[in-house]
Amino acid sequence: MRLNLLLLAAAVLTGCATAPRTQIQRTPNSFPADALIIQRGVLTVFTPLGRRQFTLNGYLASSSTKGQRLIVTENFGSVLADVLVKPDGKAHVMRSSRAFKPQWIENYIAADLQCLFGNSQQTDCPGRMITANHFLIERLWYKLELHIVDTKAGLQPSEMFDPTKGEKP
Amino acid sequence: MLAALVVRAEDAPALKPVSDPKPILAELQQKMSTLTSVYLEFTQERQLKLFAEPLRSEGVMMIDQPGMIRWETTAPFQSILLGNQKSVAQFEFADGKWKKLKLGFPQMLKRAMDQMTLMHQGKLGALTSDFTLSVSTGAVTVVTMVPKDENVRSMLAALDIHLQPDLSATREVVMREPGGDLTRIIFSREKRSVKFPEKTFDQTKPLEIAAIKAAVNNAP
Repeated sequence: MRLNLLLLAAAVLTGCATAPRTQIQRTPNSFPADALIIQRGVLTVFTPLGRRQFTLNGYLASSSTKGQRLIVTENFGSVLADVLVKPDGKAHVMRSSRAFKPQWIENYIAADLQCLFGNSQQTDCPGRMITANHFLIERLWYKLELHIVDTKAGLQPSEMFDPTKGEKP
Repeated sequence: MLAALVVRAEDAPALKPVSDPKPILAELQQKMSTLTSVYLEFTQERQLKLFAEPLRSEGVMMIDQPGMIRWETTAPFQSILLGNQKSVAQFEFADGKWKKLKLGFPQMLKRAMDQMTLMHQGKLGALTSDFTLSVSTGAVTVVTMVPKDENVRSMLAALDIHLQPDLSATREVVMREPGGDLTRIIFSREKRSVKFPEKTFDQTKPLEIAAIKAAVNNAP
């Protein structure tokens, strides 16, 4: 799992600067405020050796009052990243992995989550809504194509939104 | 509630570890050696402690000689992983069409696919360089594989292969994680010595699953 090294190399070689863009405009009520949203993503990393693609599964528990919790897994189920974003926009890394280090989760996964599904104002949001269930994040050195494959409306367990319940990254 | 738990505990098959797993592993390999190909449908349940219910996906696994495997998720999204002795490929279905991915770490995926093929061929002895193997027997036979690599073990505590007591088929595979989360893959609709249609394992334009299912189900 040297994904983080590839990302880092790409970032160093290409620079991280992107023009600030605002959060995407979703249609009102496009998702229930309280729901489990199941996502399938293809992450394309632009490296000096060419593009490299990885498939990811995302499980986003959303609460209208307590925040959003995103768990990212690989093909066979291993958790790669787990992050909680509270309503004030503060990100808590609940679990990290060799593929996604805590700093990456906070700086990019939480930021992309906020960009696509957040409610707080975000100044750097390189995201687009292609259709109601298809989203795209485009940064200089990576691209994330995200499809929502299932939405289960309903209140999510409150312990999901407790930042003290995470593993120490 | 308590009564339900008691009943469940009584229902749970008691398994006894065997002191020497080698004879069982040898018997498993011998039984599976006659298997030229296999078709299995699966339900994958991702059990995370945080979620009240498991997160389910469904799909089909196909293995053919020599060393070819197709692992296809059919719901809630569509994805095909293909492996053979030389390479792996992955396709994703999105926006009405299949797209072949430029895989990030094909060697890692190939290793995982090779291990899956070996497991379903009963060639568990070939995995002893990567795993410590033990066997428990009872209502089912369970082969437990613990990764030898500490880094792998930090993500995968153990992998349990549940076999029928006569070792004739794999019922389920459970991937246990250190924190207690697990992924359970339950197999069903097994068909053996299947003649798969052409391009089932093609890494350029694999045959659609509907055509494969039709061929498999219509076979004598």
